[in-house]
Amino acid sequence: MAKPAAKLAKIALLLFVLGSFYLVAVHRHAERDAVRSTPVALTPDCVQKLDRYGLAVGRLYESPYAFERTGLHKSLRGYTEEDVRAIQRGCNIVDDTHGRLAQDPYRDRWNAKRFIRGSHATCNNCHQGVGDKQDAAGNRMKGSLHLGASWVMGDMYDRFTGLLLPYELRQMQCYINASNGYKPNIADDVIRDVTAYSRFLSAALDMTIATHYEEQGIDEVTASATHKQGDDYVRGELLYKQKCMHCHGPQAIGLEADGRVVAPALAGPNAWNMQSRNNFYFVSTVLAGFICRNMPKGQENTLDNQECRDIAYYISNLPRPAGDRQGPVVALQQQLLMRALPPLLRLTESSPSKSAAPAAETRAQPVLGHAE
Amino acid sequence: MKALALALKSRALLWQQQLPAANNHLLVGLTLALVTLPQAVAFSVTLAGVPPHFGIYAAIWGVLFCAALNPSPVFHGGPNTAMSAAIGIILLPTAAPFGAEYMGLALTLGLMTGLIQLMFWMVRPLGRLLDLVSEPVIDGMICGIGLFLIFRSLTTFGGLPVNTEVEWPLWIAWHSFLAILEVGNLYAIQIGLITLATCAVLQQFQRLRHWAILVGIAAGTLYSQYLSATLGLQNTLIEQIGNLSSIRLVSPSVPAFTQDALPDIVTIVPGAVTLALLGLFQTVAAMRRMSRKAGGFTDSRKAIFADAVANCALPFLSSLPTCASFNRMWLVHKLGIHSRITIAASAVLLLLLVLFLADAIAVIPMPAMAAVIMLLGANMLKWEDIRPHLTNRREAIVFIASFLAVIFLDLFSAVLVGSLLAVAYSKWEQAHPNVSLHGNVLKIRGNIYFGSLPVIEAVYHRAVERAENLIIDISECYYIDPEGIRWLAAAKAAHKVGFVDRRSGDDRRLAEAAADRRTGEERRAAAATAPQDRRLPEDRRAVRRRERDRRRRSEF
Repeated sequence: MAKPAAKLAKIALLLFVLGSFYLVAVHRHAERDAVRSTPVALTPDCVQKLDRYGLAVGRLYESPYAFERTGLHKSLRGYTEEDVRAIQRGCNIVDDTHGRLAQDPYRDRWNAKRFIRGSHATCNNCHQGVGDKQDAAGNRMKGSLHLGASWVMGDMYDRFTGLLLPYELRQMQCYINASNGYKPNIADDVIRDVTAYSRFLSAALDMTIATHYEEQGIDEVTASATHKQGDDYVRGELLYKQKCMHCHGPQAIGLEADGRVVAPALAGPNAWNMQSRNNFYFVSTVLAGFICRNMPKGQENTLDNQECRDIAYYISNLPRPAGDRQGPVVALQQQLLMRALPPLLRLTESSPSKSAAPAAETRAQPVLGHAE
Repeated sequence: MKALALALKSRALLWQQQLPAANNHLLVGLTLALVTLPQAVAFSVTLAGVPPHFGIYAAIWGVLFCAALNPSPVFHGGPNTAMSAAIGIILLPTAAPFGAEYMGLALTLGLMTGLIQLMFWMVRPLGRLLDLVSEPVIDGMICGIGLFLIFRSLTTFGGLPVNTEVEWPLWIAWHSFLAILEVGNLYAIQIGLITLATCAVLQQFQRLRHWAILVGIAAGTLYSQYLSATLGLQNTLIEQIGNLSSIRLVSPSVPAFTQDALPDIVTIVPGAVTLALLGLFQTVAAMRRMSRKAGGFTDSRKAIFADAVANCALPFLSSLPTCASFNRMWLVHKLGIHSRITIAASAVLLLLLVLFLADAIAVIPMPAMAAVIMLLGANMLKWEDIRPHLTNRREAIVFIASFLAVIFLDLFSAVLVGSLLAVAYSKWEQAHPNVSLHGNVLKIRGNIYFGSLPVIEAVYHRAVERAENLIIDISECYYIDPEGIRWLAAAKAAHKVGFVDRRSGDDRRLAEAAADRRTGEERRAAAATAPQDRRLPEDRRAVRRRERDRRRRSEF
């Protein structure tokens, strides 16, 4: 008699587990649906940006920016309430991925920080100006990683692997490598809303589909565009100390104050990982191009190409997390480098011999690089 | 009349007895065919980067070849997760997936794999090397694969697009799980849960066990058809197996061996070696494990031969390479039928299914298939198989290491990590013989060889200092290598010790035969020990007394 009872209990337990799984799923779906239909609290930058581009519910959409430039009225298909909320959430995700400015990071940006390891990476670090960087005169800038320009190129063939990369998968690469994080599912709202926002940007700026704009991607700095002195670590280190160290810190691990990231990490646990294209060894032209156009803050375009490449070379040599596909051994090695080296270096730098011999500092830093 | 009636009656009785058995064979064959089908489609499309018919032909011809050539009644070949994934990883840098060049290279890779495996069959020691995979390694791998199957099926179960193939599954599993809860397709989840619940409940009953998977898939498919009828497929967005009507009885193909492809072929040779090893390791390990479970034994060389020949033939039939499949063999074992005929029948049934019932198969929903694969994975995690390995510390470490290696590295590294640990442990064991000193008798239990000599020497030199007339008892040594013999001879030559060897005839003759291989000087040095060596077993104290007397005599 005991055996059938046990079997019955087993079956009941099984059905209970499966049933509760279903109920939890239904509950979470309802929660998402509720969030999709609640108004979005925008970040200050997003309020400004979306107001300027006249995002509103309506049957037709006319871009104020395009009118201002061309003097022509051009009507596009308008946005429903749901579309507007998706675009607003997309803007929030790009501007403030970690939800530091939000009351409820789940509601306004689908808790996007869940897919990011470390506390520094946000979309806005690279895709500056909330994905739409403009100069003082309101002109879009060359090689500014513009999200709208990127969207009109839609599904690109990857330059390096030759595979077709849909816009959604390109976002995933950002999450995996640039923010050293996890891959959201392609059907997740996190991906969909950023796509909606990018698409809205392209409409607002009157961009044409399948056209290559020079705002897309990076204004890459090739070796042939330099003084042809080769990429130099020592020069890079010196330049870093003069131009970058003030904000990004002596070991490039970034600067945080009052819970806000003042300057994001360029190395160490919060930085992009070794499989990101920011790495000099992977693609040598990308980080250099970014530095030339965007750094140092307030003095953009002051560094020449050779200097940018030297700095990029130096930064790429600092320890950072390994990429997912590099396996646990490299991951462990990089973790050791990141965790064990900074305290050792601090020790060397604060030792009394340092004041006597300034060479100690320059000797200590290359260790950091060579270790990689 | 009466005789006829009797004959008929007896015939009917005979049928009655045979019918359930034949029924069971057919049922198990059908279940196997239905379980293999989604795996074949998924492995070829998502992992190997080739069209689905590659996997399906592997599930038909690969299984048939193995059933014909491999005498093991528990062996089930066909497409394999690890091999398919390896093909994708090996070929991705050389050509674009699904292209003609890529498919040609995939066939070439398969043929090279077969030829390398044939070499493993011809060179006997190479084949023996594969036997070094121990039971805890295999069980650790089985548990890892079980979890891996559950994780891998999560996204399909929730009706979501598959995120990725070759990254660490644990991270993706967690995020996939959250994604199912939050953005999964609720209709897909309903179908998956109905299939899962039906299968799992039916599995609890001995009588219905064989029907569980079939009925589960049927229930899922019926519910999915109901949803499509009431809501429309465009609203439910349920993924189905789809059109397989392009599959014919045989589809001949030729591996790419052109002048143009030669540089690419050279670059994938190391990949072919990896693939060959990957297949053989799994085949040998899975077959040994499942044979032992079923209480049988099959020579692994025969399995290697079967795999090698099958893999040499399959590239000419547009098929992926074959090797043993842990999860399907587990299913065969669970269904309790060990017969090559059943396994061959499953391949034939699959062929008939895709030839004649392609329309019916096309509507089977993928979430139901994912649920079945998850169930297979869960069935592979059995506490009764894990528990024995956790009682011994060393086995537990080997087991856990290979389990974690499957989860965090891959199948091949799991084999390497586990086997290296297991071999290291057994070598460690051999290098530490039990050396004990009672009075002036130094007893050595274990091996005397280069690895264990330092351990023996340490005790020996301490004993020589303390005890006079030391006697070394090597009665329980079962292996002495030339270095050990030289050391014993040197110890003897220094006139410090005597020897006792009380092994019975055969062992002693072997030891003497070994002794004859010594150099002349060593033989002379050892000649003094000969009288004692030939001594018959007797009381240790008497031996010691006689030894002492002899020593005293020689002193004067």
